[in-house]
Amino acid sequence: MKFYLVDHIQELDPPERIVAVKNLTLAEEYLADHFPSYPVLPGVLMLEALVQSAAWLVRVVKDFRPTLILLKEARNVRYGAFVRPGGQLVMEVTAKHIGQRDSAFKALGRCRDKTAVQARLVLEHGTVADEEPDGDKVDERLRPFWRERFALIGGPQALAAGAEAS
Amino acid sequence: MALSRDAIMEKTREALVDALGVDEDEVTPEARIGSDLGAESIDYLDIVFRLEKAFNIKIPRGDLFPDNILQSEEFVQDGKLTEKGLEELKTRLPFADLSAFETNPNVDDIADLFTVDMIVRYIESKLAEQAG
Amino acid sequence: MRWIWIDRFTAFEPGRRAVAVKCVTLAEEHLHDHVPGYPVHPPTLMIEGMAQTAGVLVGDAFDFAEKVILAKVTRATFHGRVRPGDRIRFDAEVQGEVRREGAAVTGRITADDRLVAEIELMFAHLDASRAPAEPGEGNFVFNEDFIRLLRMRSLRNLGADAPSPDA
Repeated sequence: MKFYLVDHIQELDPPERIVAVKNLTLAEEYLADHFPSYPVLPGVLMLEALVQSAAWLVRVVKDFRPTLILLKEARNVRYGAFVRPGGQLVMEVTAKHIGQRDSAFKALGRCRDKTAVQARLVLEHGTVADEEPDGDKVDERLRPFWRERFALIGGPQALAAGAEAS
Repeated sequence: MALSRDAIMEKTREALVDALGVDEDEVTPEARIGSDLGAESIDYLDIVFRLEKAFNIKIPRGDLFPDNILQSEEFVQDGKLTEKGLEELKTRLPFADLSAFETNPNVDDIADLFTVDMIVRYIESKLAEQAG
Repeated sequence: MRWIWIDRFTAFEPGRRAVAVKCVTLAEEHLHDHVPGYPVHPPTLMIEGMAQTAGVLVGDAFDFAEKVILAKVTRATFHGRVRPGDRIRFDAEVQGEVRREGAAVTGRITADDRLVAEIELMFAHLDASRAPAEPGEGNFVFNEDFIRLLRMRSLRNLGADAPSPDA
C-alpha cells in the first residue's frame, strides 16, 4: 500500500479551505484484513486522509517550506457511515488557524451524502533539519517531492480555479 | 460526598468538555446535550463513563439517557406521545423539564430534554441516595 | 501490508488492562512514503495499534462474540517521533467496565521510557443493521487469522506482567 490518502484536490481556497477526495478500491490489499468478507476503509485511514488534506493546505499557505507536517493532536473524532470499495471519501477541511509551527482545523469526511468521519485536528510543521543533523539535505529533496505530488493530485488546477472564482 | 450544586456543575462541565470537545462557556445549564453541544450516539456513553468516574457513582443503562425510551403503541401514536406515554416519560426522566415538551410531545424532540441542568439534578439525587 | 499494527501481547488482565508491543522496521512499506528520506511511523497508525490492543481487551469481555469497532477517538496527543528500530509499547486500560452498549479505553504509547502518545478511545458493537451477516460468516472483526497471529487464545496465560511505565 502507498501511504498517500489524497487522490485529488477538488477545491482549494487558501488559507481557509480545501476539499479533496480519496477513492477506495478492492485493489488495496490491507482491505483483506479489514475485514475479511466485509471490506471497509479503516477509521484511522479516514483520519489520515483528513490529516493529509489539511497538510496540503498548510504546504500551499507556507509555500512548501515545511517538509514535515504531522498530526499533533486529534480531538472528538467520530465515525459514522462506512466507506466501501467502489466508494469515495470526500474530505472537507477548514482551517481555524495556521501558525508558524502549528495549525488547527475542523474536518469532515463524507461518503454519498452521509458523514463518515468528523474531527478536530492540530498539526505541527517543521523540517527534517529541525530533527537531525544534515536534515537539510533531506529537506532539499523533499520540497520538490511535495511539489511534484501536489501537481499529481491536481493541486495547481484547483488553486487556479479558486483564484479565478474569487 | 456532599457536593454543592455548583461543584456538581463544575465537574459535569469538565466531563462534557472532555467528552464532546466543546468550550467551557458553551456548557450552560440550559444547553441541550444533543442540539447545542453536538452529542451523538456514542457520546452519551462517553458522558456516562466520565460522570461515573467523576462522582464515584454507578449509572445503570438507560437511567440518565433512556434509550429506546418509548417503543410501544401504548406510548407513541403518529410520532407523538400519548397520555400514557407522557406519564411514562415523567417517571423515566424525573429531572427533565417537560413543560414546553408537553404542549407538542413529538417523539423526535425527546433528545432535546437532555440538558446540562437535567444531568446536574440527576447527579444530585444519586449522591443524596448514596449518602442514604 | 497487513492490517495488523501490533505484534504481540505481553500482559493481559481481562476486563481491565492489556499491553502489546510493536517493532517498527524499514521493511514496512508505508515508512518509505512517510516521509521519503526520514521515515516516521505515522501517528494515525499508532492510534490503530492502540485501537487493536484495546479492541481485543474489549472483545474478550464478551468472548469475541461481538463485532467491536472503533466508534470515537476522543483525544489523541502525540509527543515524540517513532523511527525504524524503535519498539513501541501500547498500554490500554478500560475506563469503568465493558458494557453491551460499548466501552471507553485510555491508553499510553511509550518507546523505552519515552512517552510517545496519549489516546482515549470509544468502542461500539456493530449490529446486524449496519453490517448484515452472511450465514456461516462468524465474526469478521475477530477473524481466525487475527486470533491466530496475535495468539488470542492464550491471552489469559499472560497475566499482569508488564508494569505500567510511568512518565
